[in-house]
Amino acid sequence: MKNELDPRIHRALDGELDPAALDAGERALVARLDALSRSLSAVPAGRSVAHRVMAAVRRPLATPIQRFRRWVTSPQPITVSLRPVYSLVIAVLLAALLWRTPEGPKPVLGAEEGVAQFVARFPEAHSVAVVGNFNDWRPGATPLSDDDHDGVWDARVILPAGQHEYMFVVDGERWVPDPMAGRYVDDDFGRQNAVLLVRPHRTQQ
Amino acid sequence: MILVPLLLSLAFQQPDGRLEGHVPAAALPGIQAAIAKAVQDSLPTEPLIEKALEGGAKGASADLIVAAVNTEAGRLRGARDLLRHAGAPAPYSARELVSVSIALARGVPEPVVTRVVSAVKDSLPGFALHAVADLQARGFQPDSSADLIIAAVGAGMSAHRLLDVAAAAEREVQRGSTRPQALARIKSILPAVPPQPLPPGAMQGAVRPRKPATP
Repeated sequence: MKNELDPRIHRALDGELDPAALDAGERALVARLDALSRSLSAVPAGRSVAHRVMAAVRRPLATPIQRFRRWVTSPQPITVSLRPVYSLVIAVLLAALLWRTPEGPKPVLGAEEGVAQFVARFPEAHSVAVVGNFNDWRPGATPLSDDDHDGVWDARVILPAGQHEYMFVVDGERWVPDPMAGRYVDDDFGRQNAVLLVRPHRTQQ
Repeated sequence: MILVPLLLSLAFQQPDGRLEGHVPAAALPGIQAAIAKAVQDSLPTEPLIEKALEGGAKGASADLIVAAVNTEAGRLRGARDLLRHAGAPAPYSARELVSVSIALARGVPEPVVTRVVSAVKDSLPGFALHAVADLQARGFQPDSSADLIIAAVGAGMSAHRLLDVAAAAEREVQRGSTRPQALARIKSILPAVPPQPLPPGAMQGAVRPRKPATP
């Protein structure tokens, strides 16, 4: 299909022919084409692909920190090749490590310090803490735990060697002397404190 | 010269810092007076602060807390007098005074405490006194118990091992010995008393209690 423009309209668009010499339909066409031409000229010229590529090539190099950050934050493929026999050894070592971990590390004790183990059976309790002159009698300071929910609460506490008075606080409000302590003194407040004797660590072993 | 009143005022202010908010405000002047008197008498103040904190934590009234602090101060004075009488070398630490005070509170007669303190005067008497109190609590005669513990000290056993002596005598009774027989048996094997073993893993996962630094 051929799309030719009437030579008279072409001349009118070029300003060589007065639009008044055209008929109404031709004048309307000239006006539409003229408006279209103006709108196209108003669009800014786009940057060519070559221009954009060259701009990227000329960008300054990233600093080592930026490159490292990009490397750390972007996904990286990691491939580990392992012989089955080695993987078996590693699995055994990891299992041994996990088996030992629940006990935790042995604490470092001073020459005049020892470890006291507090154990109490309170099946209905939601919380149990030991309070004494070693923690200024603050109920929240030394909680006991019952990890297996069998009602037996337990804590191991590093204390200075010597004697300490203490009680258990059950559910934050009930003060109970340790029924298994075997040593008690009046507390001057109408109750009895249990008495604990801590031997220095070097004589505990 | 300027430092002395400053340090003295600091020494009196620090207990308040630990007590404020933990004991009724009405108890503070009485506690402060007891502490000041203890300082005058060269007695340790930490047991008095602990007694006040104990009363506050247990919800005791201000009057009861002050009375308990004064009772504790009286016990410390009594313990100091006993240590002097027993010939123990001064100055006396809070630990020594409290151990004598607790032994008396556990019902060990004063002459027995004096005798034990005299026998162990070169080391802390706490464990020796508790060993005697433990034996007494298990039905042994106080004098005979003190004889055994003093013999153990004479045989060269360390203070911390004296509790093993009391436990060994108790085991003898459980095996069918009478109490005098048990004491005689343990006395005959001194110092070869077996130590009480710790349960396996008793050291694992131990934590230190949270407590503000002692002033």
